[in-house]
Amino acid sequence: MPNVEPHRLPATTLVRLIEAGELTAEWVVRSCLDRIAEREPVLRAWAHLDREAVLAEARASDESGQSGILKGVPFAVKDIFDSADMPTGYGSPIYTGCRPSFEASAVSLPRAAGAILMGKTVTTEFANRHPGPTSHPKNPFHTPGGSSSGSAAAVADFMVPLGIGTQTGGSVIRPAAYCGVVGFKPSFGLFPPAGMHVNTESLDTVGTMARSVADTALFAAALMAIPYEPPAMPERPPRFALCRTPHWHEATDEAKAALEQAASRLAAAGARIVDSELPPECADISEIQATHSAYEAPRVHAPELHRHAALLSQDLLDDGKIATGRKLGLDDFREAWRRAERARAAAREWAGGFDAILTVPAPGAAPRGLDSTGSAIFNGLWTALYMPCLTLPAEETAEGLPLGIQLVGARHGDTRLLDIGLWVERQLGAAQ
Amino acid sequence: MTAANELNAAAAIARLGSGDLTAEVLTRACLDRAEERKAVKAWVWLDPEQALAQARAADTRTRAGRPGLLAGLPIGVKDIIDTLDMPTEHGSPIYRGNRPFADAACVALLRMAGGTVMGKTVTTEFANRFPGATVNPHNPAHTPGGSSSGSAAAVADFQVPAALGTQTGGSVIRPSAFCGVVGYKPSFGEFSRSGIKLQCHNLDTLGIICRRVEDLPPVRGALLAALPHRIDRDAAAPRIGICRTPAWDGAEPAMQDLIERTADRLAKAGAKITEMSFAPEFTNILEHHRRIFDYEAARNYAYEYERHHEQVSQVLRDTVLTPGRELPLAAYIDAMETAEAFRRHIDEIFGEVDALLTPSAAGEAPEGLGSTGDPRFNSIWTLAWTPCVTLPAGTGPKGLPLGVQLVGPRFRDEALFDIAAWTEPRLV
Repeated sequence: MPNVEPHRLPATTLVRLIEAGELTAEWVVRSCLDRIAEREPVLRAWAHLDREAVLAEARASDESGQSGILKGVPFAVKDIFDSADMPTGYGSPIYTGCRPSFEASAVSLPRAAGAILMGKTVTTEFANRHPGPTSHPKNPFHTPGGSSSGSAAAVADFMVPLGIGTQTGGSVIRPAAYCGVVGFKPSFGLFPPAGMHVNTESLDTVGTMARSVADTALFAAALMAIPYEPPAMPERPPRFALCRTPHWHEATDEAKAALEQAASRLAAAGARIVDSELPPECADISEIQATHSAYEAPRVHAPELHRHAALLSQDLLDDGKIATGRKLGLDDFREAWRRAERARAAAREWAGGFDAILTVPAPGAAPRGLDSTGSAIFNGLWTALYMPCLTLPAEETAEGLPLGIQLVGARHGDTRLLDIGLWVERQLGAAQ
Repeated sequence: MTAANELNAAAAIARLGSGDLTAEVLTRACLDRAEERKAVKAWVWLDPEQALAQARAADTRTRAGRPGLLAGLPIGVKDIIDTLDMPTEHGSPIYRGNRPFADAACVALLRMAGGTVMGKTVTTEFANRFPGATVNPHNPAHTPGGSSSGSAAAVADFQVPAALGTQTGGSVIRPSAFCGVVGYKPSFGEFSRSGIKLQCHNLDTLGIICRRVEDLPPVRGALLAALPHRIDRDAAAPRIGICRTPAWDGAEPAMQDLIERTADRLAKAGAKITEMSFAPEFTNILEHHRRIFDYEAARNYAYEYERHHEQVSQVLRDTVLTPGRELPLAAYIDAMETAEAFRRHIDEIFGEVDALLTPSAAGEAPEGLGSTGDPRFNSIWTLAWTPCVTLPAGTGPKGLPLGVQLVGPRFRDEALFDIAAWTEPRLV
């Protein structure tokens, strides 16, 4: 029997203990619920949580006798995904009372692997900028980041071991880094998007939050409905490109220092680290990402604009992407798409020369204030390049806020990136 | 005088805008035709009062000087597309009576442009292969094609001037060809899919079914929240490449002959005709389409597969979802990367020609309602992300429609409309 409260245990351990009969799903869920009851009044990570329903699901799991790679593990889903047995609000008052008759694949696949859906976590409005009420687990006066605010905060705060988010700009990696958890945005399209409310179709990427690389790999296998193989330590220390990106001047000194420090630790462990920047075809990839997303906004939000425009936030409407998108035409969209394709091809060749890219996941630690979820400037480029991204916690600021690093792999090199991530996690952990 | 329901969409819009015709009269004519021709079974939801109420509201807007691009034009919507005020059942018993909370983006965009959502048209189960009830309006013993079966049949049968369909394999172009109407699949990524049941995120494409090429620009404009393209009627004769594709041997003799004859006719009309074929490494391109299709559908339909297994048709489970689940990730990634290389190859082909001429389907609509036909002449282009237009081009040995397909370079949909408009009067 574990001497640690179950809500603090990693998913990999929970599955092992539950399958061995040393722990029940109900016990795990109760432990998570207790943690939530204690912390939710300040954290406000959840958009929907039904204590009795989730306990019933856990008991049913215990009684079913069915195994699964996520047997009995609670997980949280960002409220941008449809759930058939829970309300789905997309962070907008327009969808108050919305009960889809469909369940997103990001919900169904973990459930099919034995996981217990704990509830829906807070998202910014339609996974855009306008924030929800969630605060940072380490300091309630700071943002947890967004748009996957609730999932990042809940995982970081030991309310649940696994969470699902989405990233169109920086909505998985940034909140994960701010909250000090492991965030993973796979190559575009590898996690099935069915049932995710559209933000920008050719950018929206389902991602995960967990507290370790091993848990991330386990969750990823369930979300892809592929056989699970634990990540493997690389045979020799990896070769990294230290990439400062065109936005380096926007990083804080703390973030820069955290990256340099992580780089020296990895070098000390035998890694080869070379300075390398994205090829010239990628020079304006962040602008391309922004143009593309803005173009789609007034079109994808036509249903809300048609019937409920007054209930859209100004952050989205007049001060945001819808206003910007209305000024963009089809030619802008096509140009963005074409340039993104060229940039992806060039980035692929560049990234192929390294085991992974090492860079910052955000400009710095979580900013103070809950009115903004921070800047996605170090994320939008990788999202548009369709490259897999993994953020790992590395350092803390003097105020105790987490600072992460970001590893980026060549597109479709996701499995390899998780292997490299395991190595990096071990080196950083050992150094701490 | 042409009965109102027989007006093609562009002609109807012109008359609606000028006040010669009201949306109510047009909608009523369409409803009457649908009632008279119920045996086609094109509609899964058709509430006359609901359609007429929208039409009357459109007439009010037109009288107030705000007709919008569509001025009340009735439009059929495939039943995998969410509608706020009508059930959306995806052709599946799992979703019987399902009422979405909001319109799909495309539906809202049509409404914002003044369109009337006439009703929901029959789809195969989840826009896949298990057929719905619709019959071919030209011969009820034959399939109308699918998966956008009801949309193609209703437009062909003068029950509605335009309709929305979707294509993951061949689900817009093929039924349009089988029913003898114009079908259009745009460049991938241009039309929003938000609120459309997702099958394959790398393939699904919303399209338009109508009766004339000139009908496409207003509906497309509405779906893009943009001004409609003005078809260039003075365009020079195009350079056209005959593209037999690796599927050519699967085409019926009548179709093979039609393509050859069409090429001759277009050459005589001044088009420069060349032969185009794929590089040898893309001979098995259909296999890559199938892998992406199976792999993604198996995961995007996880809810149905896991939670409502017995209510998913056996044919969908056995031929798509289960094999898709078993396909290794590496095989899927290889297929996606091959597809990208194929797209670059097709981009290069269009350096030499303005459009490709290729079969819209293997031949006429097959007999029987058990299968909606073979999509191989479409799947290639769905994977290529290129715009496609099918034009009716006479009939085959059984007296059923045949279509020819024009394919343009990605993101040159307007130029393809010009070429299609040039080609349209020069066909059989």
